[in-house]
Amino acid sequence: MAVAETGTAAGAARHVRFIGPERDYWRIVVRGAILLMVTLGLYRFWLATDVRRYLWANTEIDGESLEYSGTALELLQGFLFAIALILPIYIAFTITVLDLGAFGNFLSTSSVLLLVFLSQYGIYLARRYRLTRTVFRGLRFHQSGNAIHYSICAVWWWGWTVLTLGFAYPFTRAALERFKMRNTWYGDLQGRFVGSGWHLFIRGFLMWLAVLIPMLATAVALLAINWSAVIAVLSGGGDVIGRIEKASPRFLGQIGFAVTSFAVTLALVALLLPAFHAMVMRWWVAGIRFGEMSAVAHLRTRDVYAAYLRFGEIVATSHLRTRDVYLAYLRFIGFLIAFIVVLLVGVFFGLIVLGAFFESGAMLTEFVTVAMMVGTYVVFMLGLITLFNATVTLAVWRLTANSIALSDTRPIGQVKAAGDASSPLGEGIADVLNLGGI
Amino acid sequence: MTDPVAVGLKSEAVYFDGVTSARHDVMLELNNYAVVIFDKTGELIDQWPYQRLKHLSAPAHLFRIGLRKSESLARLDIADQDMAHAIDLACPDIDRTGASARKAGRRVIGLSFLAAASLFAVAVYGLPAIVDRLAPLVPQGIERRLGNAADIQVRAMLDKGPPEQPFECGEAAVEQAGHAAFEKLMSRLQAAAELRLPLRAAVVRRNEANAIALPGGHIYVFKGLIDQAETVDEVAGVIAHELGHVANRDGTRAILQGTGLSLIFGILLGDFVGGGAVVLASESLLRSAYSRGAETRADDYAVRVMRTAGGDPRALGTFLARIAGKSRSGSIFMDHPGTGDRVARIDAIAPPQIAGATLLDAAEWRALKRICAGYR
Repeated sequence: MAVAETGTAAGAARHVRFIGPERDYWRIVVRGAILLMVTLGLYRFWLATDVRRYLWANTEIDGESLEYSGTALELLQGFLFAIALILPIYIAFTITVLDLGAFGNFLSTSSVLLLVFLSQYGIYLARRYRLTRTVFRGLRFHQSGNAIHYSICAVWWWGWTVLTLGFAYPFTRAALERFKMRNTWYGDLQGRFVGSGWHLFIRGFLMWLAVLIPMLATAVALLAINWSAVIAVLSGGGDVIGRIEKASPRFLGQIGFAVTSFAVTLALVALLLPAFHAMVMRWWVAGIRFGEMSAVAHLRTRDVYAAYLRFGEIVATSHLRTRDVYLAYLRFIGFLIAFIVVLLVGVFFGLIVLGAFFESGAMLTEFVTVAMMVGTYVVFMLGLITLFNATVTLAVWRLTANSIALSDTRPIGQVKAAGDASSPLGEGIADVLNLGGI
Repeated sequence: MTDPVAVGLKSEAVYFDGVTSARHDVMLELNNYAVVIFDKTGELIDQWPYQRLKHLSAPAHLFRIGLRKSESLARLDIADQDMAHAIDLACPDIDRTGASARKAGRRVIGLSFLAAASLFAVAVYGLPAIVDRLAPLVPQGIERRLGNAADIQVRAMLDKGPPEQPFECGEAAVEQAGHAAFEKLMSRLQAAAELRLPLRAAVVRRNEANAIALPGGHIYVFKGLIDQAETVDEVAGVIAHELGHVANRDGTRAILQGTGLSLIFGILLGDFVGGGAVVLASESLLRSAYSRGAETRADDYAVRVMRTAGGDPRALGTFLARIAGKSRSGSIFMDHPGTGDRVARIDAIAPPQIAGATLLDAAEWRALKRICAGYR
C-alpha cells in the first residue's frame, strides 16, 4: 500500500480521462432503442458494438485512447454458435423429462443448475472476448484462466451471497475480481486485484443492515399471517374483510405493517443505491493493479528500465465523489419523469384516436388496443433503460475515469504483445441466456 | 483510385508497431500507392499500401488507421486533418464521413426487420405446417406418457370433492345403469369415429358444463354437461367434438406448437428490455389462434361422426348456443371461436335432423342423467 500513497501524491496529472461528448452517446442509445423495437431486438448486436466503440474510443489512459475492435457480425456469429450449443441441451432435457418420469423431473431440476453454470461460463468467455477486442497502443488485452473453474467459483460464491441475504456479497465480489484480474493481461503485463472483501464489508455493512432490517420485518409480518385460513374464507361474496378478520385476527394490521416496511425498504434502496454504486466503484478501482514482480523481473533485463523498478506496478486510485453519482441518479429521475409525462400524453391521444376511428367490439379494434398496450409497455421499458444508460451509466463511467489516478504510467509504454483474439461464443451464450452487457 | 493522390504530402503522426506498446512519433509521407512511415531520424519504418488500409474506431479528433488482413495490431494515429483527408481520398475503402457505414447500417436494419418479419411468418404459417407433419410421427407411447402426466395434474386440479367420494361417476350401485348407458354411447361414437387408439372416457363430478380431452385418449365429461343437456345427442355432440381433438392429436400439437413458439420468440429474438411483453403478447395471440383452428376442426369432425353414428349433427350447436349464449364474434385472445360463428358453421355443414334418430333410447338417457347420483 505504500506505493499507493506515493503514487497518489505524485499523480497530480490526470492519467485517465473521458472525452466523449454526451450528445453522441444520446444519439447512439436513442437511435438504438428505436431500432431495437423495429427489429424486435435483432439490432442489439449493432447497438452493443456502437456503445462499446464510443465508450472505449473516448477513454484515454495516459494520453492514448482505447479502441474496441470487435464487430457486430462477430457478436451475431457468437450468438448463432451459442444457439447451436444450447438448443440440443434444451431438446435433450425436454425429451428425457418426457420419457423418464420422476428421474426426468430430477434431471429438469439439475438442468436449471446447468444453465446457471453455463451462464457464468458464458460471462467469463464474454469478458475474454471483450478484452481481446480491446486494443491500446497497438496491443490487445487478453484473459487467461479456465472458464469452467470460474463458473464453479462464481456459482459457489453467488450461492453463498443469496443464502446469506447479501452478507457474503463483498467477499464474493473480492474473490471473483481476484480471479478475473489475475487472469487479465495487457500484452505481457499481468493484472491483479488486491481489494479486500472486509474493506468493502466494513464500508457497506450499515447500508446492508439498513435495507435488510425493514426487508426482514416485511417477511416476518407476511409469514405471521395464517394464509391458509385467509385463502379458505376468500371465496364467496359478502363481507370478505370481516371473515378474514375472524379467520386471522390482526390481519389488516399485519398487512399494513408489511406494506409499510416494504415501502421503507424500497425508499432506503432508492436513497442508498447511488452511494453504494459509488462506494463499490471506488473500492473496485482501488483494488486494481497491473504489473507484478514477474513483469518487473522481465523489465530488469534491460538497463534502461532499471529506474522503473520501484514503480514496476501500476496502482490505481479513484476519487469518485458520492455526490456526483447522486446528481447522476437525480438527473435520471428528472428525465424519467419528463419521459413518463410525454408517454402519458401520447397514450391519451392514442386512445382518443382509437375511440374516433374504430368501432368498439370489432376484431381490429381489439388488435389495435392490444398492440397499443404492448407498444406502450415496450416504449416505457426501453425508454427507462435507455435513459438510465444515457444518464447514470455514462456519467458513472465518465466520473470514474476522470477520478482515476495511476501511481506510475511508465510501465504502460514497455509492454510486449501477447495473446490472441478469442471467439465470440461467450457473448453468444450470455446473450442466449439473456445476460448480455456492455 | 478515383481521386489523384496528394503525393509528397507530409505530416507528423503517432505510430504503434503492434509488437510493443512503445509510442513512436513518426513522419508520414504519401507516395503514389502507399503511406510511407519514417522515424524522426528519417529512417524508413514501413510502407502501408492504400488498398490495405482500414479505418479504425478512435475519438473524434483522431484519424486512426491499421492494415487489413493482418494479424498485427500496428496503428497510426493521425491528428493532422489535411493528411487524414488525403488518405481518405486515396483509399477506396476508407470513408470518414460515415456515408458507407450508414449505408451498411441501413442494410442491417432492413435485413433484421425482414428477419423479424420472416420469423413472424414462420410462427403464423410455417409452424402449424411443420406441426401438421410432425404430430402424426410422435409415437403413441410418448403421447400416452404425456397424457398420463397431464392426467395426474388435471385430476389434482379438478378433484376437489371429499376423499371418500370417487372422482369418476358410475361406480355406486345407483350409478351402474348410467355407466352402462355411457359405455354404450361411447362405443357407438367410437365405432363411428373409427379411432384406432384405446380411449379412456369417464364422467367426473364437476358441475361445469364442459368436457376435456388429454393427449393419448383420456376424455373427461363433466357431470354439469349431462345435467344441462336436454337430449342425449347434445352430450354425444360434445363428446364427438372431444374425439375430434383426440383424432387430430391436438394435445400433442399444442405441446409442439408451444415449444416452437417459445423457441422462435424466446431464443432467436432475444430479450431486449421490454421485448418480453411483445413476446408474451405474440405468443398468447398465436396460441389462441392455433387453438381456435383446432376447435373449428374438432367441430367439423363432430358433425361427421354424429352423422355416421346416426345422431343429430346439429345438437352440438344447439347445446353450445344454449349454454354459452349467442354472442356472434370471438376475441383475438380467446382460445375458442365465438359461439355464434361455431353454431353457424355447424348448421351450414350439418344436414337437418333425421326424424327420430337418437343414439340412446329414453330409458338409457334417463339412466345416463343419473350416472353421478350416488353421491350428492
